Amino acid sequence: MTEPVLEVSGLVKHYPLTRGVVFRKQVGAVRAVDGVDFTLGRGETLGIVGESGCGKSTVAKMLVNLERPTAGSIRYKGEDITRLSGRALKAVRRNIQMVFQDPYTSLNPRMTVGDIIGEPYEIHPEAAPKGDRRRRVRELLDVVGLDPEYANRYPHQFSGGQRQRIGIARGLALRPEVIVADEPVSALDVSVQAQVVNLMDRLQSEFGLAYVFIAHDLSIVRHLSDRVGVMYLGRIVETGTDTEIYEHPTHPYTQALLSAVPVPDPRARERRERIILGGDVPSPTDVPSGCRFRTRCWKARERCALEAPALAVPAWFEASGGPAAHDSACHFAEAVPVGRSAPEQVVPVEGHGNGPG
Amino acid sequence: MLLEVRDLRVEFHTRDGVAKAVDGVSYGVDAGETLAVLGESGSGKSVTAQAVMGILDVPPGRITGGEVVFRGRDLLKLKEDERRKVRGAEMAMIFQDALSSLNPVLSVGDQLAEMFTVHRGMSRRDARARAVELMDRVRIPAARERAGQYPHQFSGGMRQRIMIAMALALEPALIIADEPTTALDVTVQAQVMELLAELRRELGMGLILITHDLGVVADVADRIAVMYAGRIVESAPVHDVYKAPAHPYTRGLLDSVPRLDLKGRELRAIKGLPPNLTRVPPGCAFHPRCPLARDVCRTDEPPLYEVSATRGSACHFWRECLDD
Repeated sequence: MTEPVLEVSGLVKHYPLTRGVVFRKQVGAVRAVDGVDFTLGRGETLGIVGESGCGKSTVAKMLVNLERPTAGSIRYKGEDITRLSGRALKAVRRNIQMVFQDPYTSLNPRMTVGDIIGEPYEIHPEAAPKGDRRRRVRELLDVVGLDPEYANRYPHQFSGGQRQRIGIARGLALRPEVIVADEPVSALDVSVQAQVVNLMDRLQSEFGLAYVFIAHDLSIVRHLSDRVGVMYLGRIVETGTDTEIYEHPTHPYTQALLSAVPVPDPRARERRERIILGGDVPSPTDVPSGCRFRTRCWKARERCALEAPALAVPAWFEASGGPAAHDSACHFAEAVPVGRSAPEQVVPVEGHGNGPG
Repeated sequence: MLLEVRDLRVEFHTRDGVAKAVDGVSYGVDAGETLAVLGESGSGKSVTAQAVMGILDVPPGRITGGEVVFRGRDLLKLKEDERRKVRGAEMAMIFQDALSSLNPVLSVGDQLAEMFTVHRGMSRRDARARAVELMDRVRIPAARERAGQYPHQFSGGMRQRIMIAMALALEPALIIADEPTTALDVTVQAQVMELLAELRRELGMGLILITHDLGVVADVADRIAVMYAGRIVESAPVHDVYKAPAHPYTRGLLDSVPRLDLKGRELRAIKGLPPNLTRVPPGCAFHPRCPLARDVCRTDEPPLYEVSATRGSACHFWRECLDD
């Protein structure tokens, strides 16, 4: 990996649940994010996938300082941004910008597009001298593939895909090093999604951006990411390069998730065997003991309820090396060929020894 | 043929003018068959379904032509009270957003039981027993206890199961599912699609699946109708379409989705945007975005050419597209 721009460690966000009006007392907590670690290299894309409620958007908000973490650190080039305030914080925030999911609600309808894209310069006047801002806004519109003449129009005059381009242009205005994109294409039509994905790809090489790309769509995440982290109920359960995760997943949740994605090829219908998970994701107010996934896992045993598995390379893969040797938080991590894995064929591997694969 | 839609036309009167949301759509479904209607927002796929179900908002919508022949009768000619008997009992619909489709102040058991008391004249006690049976059938755990709960107490996947239970209650011959899993997570989507496919097989129903998801279509459909700007641009058996699309729009859609199993660098996006329905381009509506467009495409609207006995394409140059 290249030199890290972001290092996240032990990141936690708990929202207190209180009862009572006069005498508020805490009765529990929503454990939205519960111990997340990752690093992001310069110019790299880290994809974070997970289903709704897994905490991926809360991670995004903490990265751009819209939420304060309950615990843990976020280091930008070695400096912990969770401890900064005032001017020092403002300086760091310039370098980490966000692109939001919903291009319909994330742009102010009363501002012209030019004002929206130029607004970051009001907050960070040192980024561009006043006389130069109009030119820069027009340049940004051009960069994201919109006509610079559009600067005087309002958001409602644009389609969803065009609005998302405006959101991206705003994100680029301060020339950040990191862009955190939370589901940037999921509100768009299929044919328009590809345009925006290609744009993000091009901008990355043009400006040397590092992306944290958060999405529930596993195909799009694979398309854009160098490395991928899979989240479940507030934790990363497996992380590795895109090939390691997509072709050699060892965590049962990742395996189930991948097997559930419909492939746009009807010939795959006969070949594939799906792992259909039972039940729903448990509530983050009442997280299961030990491994969080055990309530839906077909491999779960007694040990899973007692001991939370650490996110590390399983010992039995470490010796053998190869693509299965990546971080996986499962006591019984196992390499299973994708698409052909069926629960009844899975034989759990006990503690140590070589896994099959 | 269980249902045959012939040359259906629906218009909406808007401030910008008349929008031809459905502009001469024809398709058919056999009993036991799954037809996927594929299209992006504004393609007219949902409006067509609403017209078939008879739940179109009139005004602003208006059916200006065509026939909806269901089990030998043209539904568009029926009176509203006759139509109401067909709806629910003979054809039922599943919507994308279960939370806003269910009544928030009635327990789910009562809502399901209502189907039986109203349509079948059952006693409340019997209806309630049937409701619990249905909830069991769509695999809601602890059905008896949960029948007394309200929609907001269920997760998204469970609510969608309740919608399915409600649609199946009277064992209709046809189910129309409008983006039934779009709001759900992938693992839950897989559960719900599997359940729907299984029940459809068991009961031998016809299914119209309206979706924008090419993956879901490949998984469950027998036939596909691709819609663009209110018209059907390609209609074919599912295997044919994925092997070699016969319309440039279908090809564009297939090329623009990233595939889990194939990691390429650049996606081939379709340029431009779908048209505003009050100002659909003359000739072929897709021509401003089409890589094959020529002069004739700007002037002559292509009919649905017969590619084979089971396949049609509304492209003047479908041969070229097929060979591509």
